Amino acid sequence: MAVARRRRRQKAAGRGKRGPPAALLSPPSSEDEAPEEVSFGVAKEAAETQRKLVGEAVRRHRELLREKRRRRQELFTEQKKRKLLPEALLQELAAAPTDRGEGQAAAADPGKHHGGGAVKQRQGQAVKQRRGRAQRQVKKAKQRKSARSKGNYTAVCLKDQSITGLHQQLAKDFLNTHLYGPDANRAQANDFFSLENKKNPVKKAAVQFVDKSWGQEKKERATRFKKIWLATQLKNQV
Amino acid sequence: MGEFEVHRVRFFGLVPAGVRCLACQPRGGRLALARTDGAVEVYNFAANYFQEKVIPGHETRSVEALCWAAGDRLFGAGLSGEITEYDLALLCVARSVDGCGGPIWSMAANSSGTQLAIGCEDGSVKLFQVVPGGIQFERNLDRRKGRILCLSWHPSDTHIAAGSIDFLRVFDVCSGQTVQRIMVNYHVLKVRRECIVWSIAFLSSGTVITSDSFGRVQFWDWQRGTLMESHTVSTSAVLSLAVSEKEDSIIVGTSTGATYQFQLLPVKMGSLEKRWVRTKPFQHHTHDVRAVAHSSTALISGGLDAQLVIRPLMEKMQKKGYDAALRKFTFPHRRLVSCARKARLLLFQFSQHLELWRLGSTDETGKDGEVLPLCRMPEHLVQLKSKGPEHIYCSCVSPCGSWVAYSTASRFHLYRVQYEGDGVSIKKVPKVPKLLLPAYQLQFSSDSGSLFVASARGSVHVLQLLEPGGCKHLHTFRPPSGSPEAVYLLASSADGHWLAAVGGDWAIHIYDLKCFKHHCTVPTYSCAVTALAIHPITNNLVIAYSDQQLFEFSIPEKQYTAWSRMVQNCGLHRVWLERDSPITHITFNPKNPSHILLHDIYMFCVLDKSLPLPDNSALLMNQSTLKQLPETARQRQLHAFKICKKFQPLLFADLLDENCLVMVERPIMDIKTQLPLPIQQKKFGT
Repeated sequence: MAVARRRRRQKAAGRGKRGPPAALLSPPSSEDEAPEEVSFGVAKEAAETQRKLVGEAVRRHRELLREKRRRRQELFTEQKKRKLLPEALLQELAAAPTDRGEGQAAAADPGKHHGGGAVKQRQGQAVKQRRGRAQRQVKKAKQRKSARSKGNYTAVCLKDQSITGLHQQLAKDFLNTHLYGPDANRAQANDFFSLENKKNPVKKAAVQFVDKSWGQEKKERATRFKKIWLATQLKNQV
Repeated sequence: MGEFEVHRVRFFGLVPAGVRCLACQPRGGRLALARTDGAVEVYNFAANYFQEKVIPGHETRSVEALCWAAGDRLFGAGLSGEITEYDLALLCVARSVDGCGGPIWSMAANSSGTQLAIGCEDGSVKLFQVVPGGIQFERNLDRRKGRILCLSWHPSDTHIAAGSIDFLRVFDVCSGQTVQRIMVNYHVLKVRRECIVWSIAFLSSGTVITSDSFGRVQFWDWQRGTLMESHTVSTSAVLSLAVSEKEDSIIVGTSTGATYQFQLLPVKMGSLEKRWVRTKPFQHHTHDVRAVAHSSTALISGGLDAQLVIRPLMEKMQKKGYDAALRKFTFPHRRLVSCARKARLLLFQFSQHLELWRLGSTDETGKDGEVLPLCRMPEHLVQLKSKGPEHIYCSCVSPCGSWVAYSTASRFHLYRVQYEGDGVSIKKVPKVPKLLLPAYQLQFSSDSGSLFVASARGSVHVLQLLEPGGCKHLHTFRPPSGSPEAVYLLASSADGHWLAAVGGDWAIHIYDLKCFKHHCTVPTYSCAVTALAIHPITNNLVIAYSDQQLFEFSIPEKQYTAWSRMVQNCGLHRVWLERDSPITHITFNPKNPSHILLHDIYMFCVLDKSLPLPDNSALLMNQSTLKQLPETARQRQLHAFKICKKFQPLLFADLLDENCLVMVERPIMDIKTQLPLPIQQKKFGT
């Protein structure tokens, strides 16, 4: 009943010429009264407008989703492009003739370093270099594989020391997520230290503005923006 | 006092590292502190909380737990998975043992100091025996899933409580089995986050105290597995917990920088039943408090804002005096700046690099308090990065500005600096003599012809600097009776005749540089030496101790001077003795032989020996009142101590020439921008 009344009011609002039917002028009565009669054509038009509105809303929603999906796809392709090595380097690697010699040397080294009681950092650094070299080897191997279908490569097993670094990184990440992650409710230094300035009996501006050494980046960005803006304004005027 | 043109330097970008671990020595009156950059420091409570030892950090070293064992042996463990023992005499890492459990999150020593338990990333608790040569692996306790973030021994050494993520476990040490497993997050409704138990303590009554990431401090009965009391102290995590020796007081530190004390108090007057009550809140820090300690008389907290705060408990203090004052330490108790007076250069020591700056200059003059415009800005001449992951122990620049030296734990570098017009070129001196490293202090002689290197076991090496860029080892001085500790302070006389050296045993030895012999030893004093300098004309050695006492020792006569005896008889002013920070640099004015210039972090003082000493009834800091008095009244009220508190926090102050001073300040707010983020505080109306 309330729905029928609403539709009538909408119709009345749409067709201002006829004026609202007498029933609407009366104060909203309680739900106990019998429903009022509505002609078939009027109800049909009301239903159609309603359907059109709903359809439009759904179409808009679909468009929005499509836009979102398109943007995400673009983002992924961009990220993928970023991950790859620069074009020039890829071409160079593809053209490189013999890199197998280096790969074999890297394989021989882990065996030698195992026995030595060398300082951990040196080993760590050497491992990193070897890992880097091995990674480059793997990439070169991949490139070679795609450029030339045949190509044998050697799989190199690096010493377990790389795992300590990985464990340490995992531990540090755990600490960071729990102390500074999304749940942590951290504030920027400027916001935190400006609270005092704002609660003082004599109110002062945020520390960023009071202390000249703060907020250097923002100021630099602001000056750059001003320059660009002025330049565009002049160009437009001319 | 005179009029000085002051170069006010604020471009020393020192950012001290945050405090990560604290450990009170059980019966020694020392506090060990570890920072986030791996540096370990030892503070001596009896010597007025002086930072007596510093072991610089390392790029790969992270210390997550620190503990004293077997009396005075200091052990640390970190995310690299190793247990390191620190050699406090040689100020370096003595040895390290791999824990074989991945990164180590926590470590605790048992009450007798004979065993160490470590909690590892893989969820295992491992026991190590502390033996005279190092530590030995004993056995693994029962291993379950979940990294062990905190550990605590029961005072009887029969059980160990370990906190993990969502759970806390109690192990029986003899059998190695888990005898109790309690779920910690059961009482938090609608919880999707994990509850991390950041710290744990085990009381002798069988109560286990945990602090977790929901801001709660909970008391558990481990045998029944029930929660006895739960106190929600904060909305952010409670990161650290420490119990007093008598087990009647606890201090907890939170992520917001607040610390709280809990005390075990009787429910009613005279009743036997006791409850834990949250008594005192403190807000001494702005950033996370990741380390707390409870000594017998004070609450100690260290935060990521690099501050160490020691709050003595009033009920433990006999009388209300300076002993009961709050102590806050932010800056190190040693010099990080060296100055080349003639060349007007400053060398700043950072943990992994050095910066050489030339001071600016001005042509104008002005009145007291005026700021003069610069005609030439200060220039950053050289930035020297130290090779390798080790942090720098000490550095120095020669008075003429053409030599720069620094030392890390395993390397010693000497550089020759040449100035061509406005440009600077720096060249490394090859073939430096092989010395036992590290060098703990470096000092160039006043004619820039020799370099003095403070080394281990009380020895000092004298290196001769050769033009155009070479170095030769001349002699090594050793104290006559030998000393196990390293030398940490050096002073040389202006005429190149005398050299004074102080070791970790606080004995000051004076050596004769002309005949390379030990000259004399200054009578021992019961406190640590914080600064040392030899007067250019009278060759008197001025010594500042950590309890703020000042002595003057005449080197040619081998005895204290008359002035020094007078100071000791009259006593120093009470306000002078109640200063918080030690004097880190003493220097002299060649034009005014009776002046001694000294400074600590909060004041700069010109001490005039020709004027009378103030007694306790006089005002010590009377410079502002003196300025307003007429000339005749001023003469009556003048006393020897002329103190200026305008420049603070002061890291270094020196006299460049007779009218020119340089003051290196480091405002605390400039450090706060570069610290990790603090927790947001919502205040009404902002």
